[in-house]
Amino acid sequence: MSSQITVRIDGVLCTATEGETIFEVAEANGKHIPSLCHMEGVSSAGSCRLCLVEVAGIDRLLPACTTPAQRGMAVTTTSDRLSSHRRLALELMFVERNHICAVCVSNGHCELQALAQSLGVTHVRYPYNSPRLSVDVSHPRFVLDHNRCILCSRCVRVCDEIEGAHVWDIGGRGIGSRVVADLDRPWGESQACTACGKCVQVCPTGALVEKGYAVEEMTRSKAAIARLAVKKGATP
Amino acid sequence: MQSAASQRLQTFDQAFVDSVIAERTGRPGALLGILQKVQEHQPAQYLPTEVLEYIAAKTATPLSRIYGVVTFYALFSLAPQGKNSVCICRGTACHTRGSRDLLEQAMMRLGLQQDQDGETESLSVTTPDGLTTLRTVACFGQCALAPVVEVNHTIFGHMNERSLQKALETLDLGGPLS
Ligand code: SF4
Ligand code: SF4
Ligand code: FES
Ligand code: FES
Repeated sequence: MSSQITVRIDGVLCTATEGETIFEVAEANGKHIPSLCHMEGVSSAGSCRLCLVEVAGIDRLLPACTTPAQRGMAVTTTSDRLSSHRRLALELMFVERNHICAVCVSNGHCELQALAQSLGVTHVRYPYNSPRLSVDVSHPRFVLDHNRCILCSRCVRVCDEIEGAHVWDIGGRGIGSRVVADLDRPWGESQACTACGKCVQVCPTGALVEKGYAVEEMTRSKAAIARLAVKKGATP
Repeated sequence: MQSAASQRLQTFDQAFVDSVIAERTGRPGALLGILQKVQEHQPAQYLPTEVLEYIAAKTATPLSRIYGVVTFYALFSLAPQGKNSVCICRGTACHTRGSRDLLEQAMMRLGLQQDQDGETESLSVTTPDGLTTLRTVACFGQCALAPVVEVNHTIFGHMNERSLQKALETLDLGGPLS
């Protein structure tokens, strides 16, 4: 049913299976595309726009993580235009919340910070929103700090798709969007939460963390989630 | 436990909610339809926590997904709404034609206070007497008539302070607007 196709990525011919996304084909062929909301083991959301790529013959940029590779496609993953869009996306994330790396538990292990460094975001060209946001410390083991959330929805997807608890979702809309537990209750009061910690392991920033860590101490393991996803798929 | 659960169900019409769920389950977009029907049936046109919890349990929908839907669509309300509704468009076309002033005027006439954090993306406030709910929307789709205001389900175009004043006088407040 699934046939082999050929696509060109940055000029190199790559073999792919029909239905694979551009992102997957690129990774399989040793090409790294920047990403934040995408995560191996859970569905794609296409929300962060870091993985935008150029496809020959199409004017607008397409997200690699949700666009299926098609026969004969010619994809460009690095260009000045793409870098400037990716930098812009990052700058807007910094503007929206309060990212003070120097006092963050994830300093030095943060995917947002690492991407900003690798894409050369040395400053932000727009005024900061500096919203007043809360920190939820009601859970006995974990903390949710809205100041550092980028709304990537990895926590939502991993809790729903891997743990099966669906504690999290995104409430509100636009600039007022927030990650919410149940009916926007304190996390510690959630009846659905099993305290498995998967959401904490996959958060790319310092928004979901384990209690008891000081600045720069919070490291994570995403790889375990990909392994669990494989196991889950294997057992009916 | 049993009695505690049935106690809580008194805040809404359980038989009605059950029938709406039964009629819509399995249809695409069922949740939206269920929430909309139930809200229309509620006396103060809103969705109390108890009803959301009941729908979640009955339809096996995660609470956070329901909350996400209810807070995404402007049509849903988590707080009791007044019997009068005033809705001011704050979309781009209406903004450039002075809808901010109209909003300020309506807030003042209704005796409502602006949120301390300044202007939020969308506003929905009810007067302390519970009679009137003032909301904003991001566009009515009637930009040619900007600025647009809706008062008790009638759309008014090309509004100015005088016509807004007139429209607000039609509100049923059980007496003249002071
Ligand atoms: S700890 Fe586990 S169950 Fe609780 S919210 Fe996180 S992923 Fe869901
Ligand atoms: S809490 Fe973390 S994982 Fe969840 S949406 Fe925010 S940044 Fe993403
Ligand atoms: S990784 Fe593709 S949009 Fe976020
Ligand atoms: S902006 Fe007000 S109707 Fe479109």
